[in-house]
Amino acid sequence: MNNGEGRRLAGQAEEEDDEDDVDECGLEAWERAYADERSWESLQEDESGLLRSIDNKALYHAQYRRRLRSLASSNAASRIQKGLIRYLCIVIDLSRAASETDFRPSRMAVVAKNVEAFIREFFDQNPLSQIGLVTIKDGVANCLTDLGGSPESHIKALMGKLECSGDSSLQNALDLVCGYLEQIPSYGHREVLILNSALSTCDPGDIMETIQKCKKSKVRCSVIGLSAEIFICKHICQETGGLYSVAVDESHFKELILEHAPPPPAIAEFAIANLIKMGFPQRAAENVISICLCHKEARGGGYTCPRCKARVCELPTECRICGLTLVSSPHLARSYHHLFPIAPFDEVTPVRLSSSQHKLPKSCFGCQQSLLNPGNRPSLSVECPRCKQFFCIDCDIYIHESLHNCPGCESFRHFKTVSSSEE
Amino acid sequence: MKFEIEDVTVYFPYDNIYPEQYSYMVELKRALDARGHCLLEMPTGTGKTIALLSLITSYVLSKPQSPLKLVYCTRTVHEMEKTLAELKKLHDYQVKHLGPAARILAVGLSSRKNLCVNPRVLSAENRDSVDAGCRKLTASWVRALAERNPGVPTCEFFEDYERAGSGAVLPPGVYTLQDLRAFGKQKGWCPYYLARHMVQLANVIVYSYQYLLDPKVAGIISKEMQRECVVVFDEAHNIDNVCIEALSVCVRRQTLEGATRNLHRMEQEIDRFKATDESRLRAEYQRLVEGLALRGDLRVNDTWLANPALPDDILKEAVPGNIRRADFFLRVLRRFVQYLKGRLETENVEKESPVAFVASVTNQAGIDQKTLKFCYDRLHSLMMTLEITDTDEFLHIQTICDFATLVGTYARGFSIIIEPFDERMPDVQDPVLQLSCHDASLAIKPVFDRFQTVVITSGTLSPIDLYPRLLNFNPVVSRSFTMSLTRDCICPMVLTRGSDQLPVSTKFDMRSDLGVVRNYGRLLLEMVSVVPDGIVCFFVSYSYMDEIVNSWNESGILKEIMQHKLVFIETQDVVETTLALDNYRRACDCGRGAVFFSVARGKVAEGIDFDRHYGRLVIMFGIPFQYTLSKILLARLEYLRDTFQIKEGDFLTFDALRQAAQCVGRVIRSKADYGMMIFADKRYSRHDKRSKLPGWILSHLRDAHLNLSTDMAVYIAREFLRKMAQPYDKAGSGGKKTLLSQEDIEKMGDSSLNDMLY
Repeated sequence: MNNGEGRRLAGQAEEEDDEDDVDECGLEAWERAYADERSWESLQEDESGLLRSIDNKALYHAQYRRRLRSLASSNAASRIQKGLIRYLCIVIDLSRAASETDFRPSRMAVVAKNVEAFIREFFDQNPLSQIGLVTIKDGVANCLTDLGGSPESHIKALMGKLECSGDSSLQNALDLVCGYLEQIPSYGHREVLILNSALSTCDPGDIMETIQKCKKSKVRCSVIGLSAEIFICKHICQETGGLYSVAVDESHFKELILEHAPPPPAIAEFAIANLIKMGFPQRAAENVISICLCHKEARGGGYTCPRCKARVCELPTECRICGLTLVSSPHLARSYHHLFPIAPFDEVTPVRLSSSQHKLPKSCFGCQQSLLNPGNRPSLSVECPRCKQFFCIDCDIYIHESLHNCPGCESFRHFKTVSSSEE
Repeated sequence: MKFEIEDVTVYFPYDNIYPEQYSYMVELKRALDARGHCLLEMPTGTGKTIALLSLITSYVLSKPQSPLKLVYCTRTVHEMEKTLAELKKLHDYQVKHLGPAARILAVGLSSRKNLCVNPRVLSAENRDSVDAGCRKLTASWVRALAERNPGVPTCEFFEDYERAGSGAVLPPGVYTLQDLRAFGKQKGWCPYYLARHMVQLANVIVYSYQYLLDPKVAGIISKEMQRECVVVFDEAHNIDNVCIEALSVCVRRQTLEGATRNLHRMEQEIDRFKATDESRLRAEYQRLVEGLALRGDLRVNDTWLANPALPDDILKEAVPGNIRRADFFLRVLRRFVQYLKGRLETENVEKESPVAFVASVTNQAGIDQKTLKFCYDRLHSLMMTLEITDTDEFLHIQTICDFATLVGTYARGFSIIIEPFDERMPDVQDPVLQLSCHDASLAIKPVFDRFQTVVITSGTLSPIDLYPRLLNFNPVVSRSFTMSLTRDCICPMVLTRGSDQLPVSTKFDMRSDLGVVRNYGRLLLEMVSVVPDGIVCFFVSYSYMDEIVNSWNESGILKEIMQHKLVFIETQDVVETTLALDNYRRACDCGRGAVFFSVARGKVAEGIDFDRHYGRLVIMFGIPFQYTLSKILLARLEYLRDTFQIKEGDFLTFDALRQAAQCVGRVIRSKADYGMMIFADKRYSRHDKRSKLPGWILSHLRDAHLNLSTDMAVYIAREFLRKMAQPYDKAGSGGKKTLLSQEDIEKMGDSSLNDMLY
């Protein structure tokens, strides 16, 4: 269960994963009860009425691998073109159903908390993209924040507006969002992420038409449900090429929402090569005070637009004067890894591992932990198809999600270049 | 895929097979080997039809020395088309693997309404008028007239078919009704008569139950079938009712009035003939004196219905003298109608045995038993002589003659019940005279006797040992299979208590208790707020539904429900119900969500599927017992007790539970689907009731779900729906294999497979 949180905190992830291992095998069951927060929730009754803890780790890993595979296959189809410049509208359902307390303290609070985390993660992974927030309440969709690139302003706006009532209306929300997204330049990728608590939608008209409209204007709609599978949501996602998922509990919800942070593959017909004019502004010195365009205040620091010399506080943004897209080079660099992901690792069957144990390494190449469970049973492990090194599951996730480099391949390349230069 | 079951190579058109399909085939094969009848229960959505078809056709292919014919009976035209479509796929596969040797001829047969291609005939609105329209164009005297006078319209398709003579045959292949029509249009041959002709030659016939069970129809269509037939009754859980209906007749006031009109018209016709062409009437009289077999010399296009009594019970005798003359016969009929009218005037409910009834007819109307018995044949002959083609106008008098013949023929297993009004509405005078058959085994007996193997199969045949007793036969195999699932996609629950912990039930003394009504309301209200898309509710009767919906309306519960979902209600009107269903589906499609209130034993409960999002939850409010004060039911119960030693209580529970299982079974139609079932009545938790549910529901009914209150059920529903919304792995993971490939089957012998399943 901790995997979801651990893997994204880039720096500490490795240590945390290590701790997980200790959690799983080092502590006694009663100790674990105190170690993690809600151990009673991960208990399940089996056929004979005995309690047993759910093996979440295997479950999550299987899910993760499936995701990775589907991602890899869709990449192959669309020649690994990805939408790096994304315009994402997050639609938050604040209808009556959002006050249900099956998530603690309430669905609404959980959603808000995780949207906050998502927004930060999103901008971390997609520095060139923008987000807008929309809420549904009393059957009406309201725009909370316009599309923009500043995480703080979104989070502030969201936290100030947390109350729920009335029905939900997906059609109104889609109509509103479509209106916003149609205005953005053609190179940007239009996406909607709907966080849906309600089980029904009260629409003023035919929602099917709205879905077709979204499809026509290439808006990719994804939905995360909080209670159960709803046909219309599934239909929206199928039609527009988005993802549909339903959260089981809070940690699962977090995982699902963070799945939307990395850029999705570009829609093939839409991905025409396009040149975009961008400016790389210089950072001004702290002591040079001038009036910035975003807050209309005089302050030090900030960036200067290379074309019209206007001052802005934060990057990336669009210059308010000349409309130039302003970014810094690290932003571009950070978006880069999405285009060249590491190939998914192959799963090693435990049989193979145990039968040919004398040849294969017994420990993970990444973290040097043993690949054998206590009791000498081989645990799940994976193999890099290029460098043929073995990794444990946690390293597998860490490498694909955070590191974006295979330690095996990297060290061998390094080794090769060193040895070739010596000759 | 291709695999061996003992000495038979089975050709199966798909790459994978469910384990239960495999064991279904094994059992079926054993029954075929033993040349006996069998009874197989397997849940819907597991591919019963294709398993049946592929085993039987493969069995025939592997034993060319004993050609078996497959007769497949379905309940509806829709099911017939589905079956033929599956067969087509299978046939293509077999031909691909075995070459032209595997070619078979398979035809579907339905009424003229579904097969006719003549636009003039087809414009009629109902089945009877299409039949009559056809007869107007194809009857032998009409055609004879047309030869002399070209102005008389005939059917060009039938004429072409007749001209082609014995050359008019279908090339081998599988023909759905659609294909038959297309073929008929292309060749210019009448598809209906072509199909009827090909029934004798085809390897596989797909048609409706009536063609075998209803003696009126079976006598014409299925007369000349060989003994080496495999007869399959699919979806046969109600087969006893079909059998009973085939031999029951219901006479109302309208029928009698119509019959009087018919008689009047026939009298006019006779007068006309007397004036113009008396020789015809005399010829008929002569024929009857000589005792010519009535249908022996008739052409195929002149027959419409055969005798309503079973073939073995029809006397091969000459028509008695007193009704040989046309006007005498009319007089007899008139007296009989008059007598029935008198009986309908009664103020009290009357129940009589056929013997007593015939005695009183003899006394009061002077018609003896033998005369009654020949009524139908005599009428048939007379209508032929009078050259009447618009038979749809004469349905009333046919009903009367049906009644007379049945009453005259059978002394046991029937009773005559006259009710002056419906007991539930005592103010409305609506007298009904019913000849009701109590013994389902009567109508099906000829089928069991005539054919080598009869397969009775359905999704719900529990308890499986009762059917052989009801239908009075000895199955060589009777088995119930469960569904192998990759995930627990059905979630049955027994709800015994409401949110206030008081028991809920539709037991007679509790059903109108306000607390129970409120608890049912709260249950639905809680459920609509946690279940997405469609919910179906079944009530025990229309009157109970009216009552409970009214009281929910008054207490405002209905309004609260409407905040979450729209509410649709089934009514007795078919058009209205269709409209409601249509809108219900639309509401489910567009995400508004909807609740459908329906009645167990209604049209919806029997024929409409609520699969996928159209039914995520079905609530069965109460146990759908039959109306136990109904005279017909009481008479039947008495008969069952005396003849088959089936206790009243047992039969009632069995019947109620099979209806309940039918209702809740509507929500799950395939393995990828999921749905919840709530049995909301405290009586379901008792073992004698519960154990009569089909095995595939019982195996998912966990002990913890046997005694729930509303809040617990809501919690379980939430968890279940979340679990089911997760992406799911079709092939099955872990140790449970639910899809077998060819290698899997070859690897494991029968024994290991059997171990795995049971």
